[in-house]
Amino acid sequence: MSCSEFDLKGYFLEELPGEERAQVEAHLPACQECREELARLRLTDAAMMTLRDEEIPQRIAFVSDKVFEPAWWQRLWQSAPRLGFASAAMLAAAIFVHAFTRPAPVIAPSGVETAEVERMIEREVARRLDTAVAEAVAAAETRNEERTAGLLQAAAEQFEMQRQADLLTVQESFDYLRKQMNVSYMASAYQEASQ
Amino acid sequence: MLQSRDGDVEAYNHLVSRWEKRVYNYLLRLVRDPEDSLDLSQDVFLKAYQSLRRLEDPARFSAWLFRIAHNEAFSLLRKRRPETELADQAPPSPPAAKMLPVETSLAVASALNRLSEDQREAVILKMYQGFKFEEIAGILECPVSTVKSRVYTALDLLKETLAPIETRGDA
Repeated sequence: MSCSEFDLKGYFLEELPGEERAQVEAHLPACQECREELARLRLTDAAMMTLRDEEIPQRIAFVSDKVFEPAWWQRLWQSAPRLGFASAAMLAAAIFVHAFTRPAPVIAPSGVETAEVERMIEREVARRLDTAVAEAVAAAETRNEERTAGLLQAAAEQFEMQRQADLLTVQESFDYLRKQMNVSYMASAYQEASQ
Repeated sequence: MLQSRDGDVEAYNHLVSRWEKRVYNYLLRLVRDPEDSLDLSQDVFLKAYQSLRRLEDPARFSAWLFRIAHNEAFSLLRKRRPETELADQAPPSPPAAKMLPVETSLAVASALNRLSEDQREAVILKMYQGFKFEEIAGILECPVSTVKSRVYTALDLLKETLAPIETRGDA
């Protein structure tokens, strides 16, 4: 038994506000019954604490499974700042893609301008063709002149060699004739001397 | 806690490892079956993970977690209520003053079993889990006065078994 005006269980369970707690503490030294009641509550608590917590037989680890992880879009959707950032990023990306994929403006040329452009192209093609032909002809003529000059030089050299050979033959013939004449003259002179 | 709320599984694993033993023992003392307690613990943490983003005040995580555990436990107890009522009729244990420590813990378990489910849960949340009356009222979704009444009644019943008044000749 205890004094009904004091909440001993509330005091024991530390649920009393400071003022009521102080009143109980002031009352206890003077009341044997309340002290015994408080001692029984403490004994009950001590007995209850012999019932210890048991270890969990198996760790709860299912949350490490990937299937319980929220998808990236779920995490994004659940975060307001991230969602705002993602929206801004998507808007920027959309503008960027639109700017690069938009077809370039096509300006339709008039008929007069087209004819003028065609004439200019034709003139340019003709000019470049004439130049190419002239260059090709000049190159061919140069090659022919060089070949002719080479042939003429070779013919002149051959003629000179032949002339030198002929002169040498004439010189040798003349020397032979002069020797024959000397022999004839000496033979005639010997016959005259012997006669 | 905040990382877990943003879907960080590793952070939530830390949270689970910190609370799983307390939740398991709360459920074990309430439903009194290890396998059921483990299964319920799994369910509690799964449901907590799935609804963690709805927890507005992270400081109230423990009360919120035990609220989920309470719902899971009483969902099971309602299914097997006839069996529980039979178990509640077990004979009272002898006084704790004459028992060895092991016997005392058995007597405590027996004394807890003789309490009603509401009383047992209230006293478990108060004595073993250390919640304040207001927090227990939040977990059980009932007035503080109801919590107080359940705890006080449970304490009186436990006290009769575990710390009986010594009469002349007891020693």
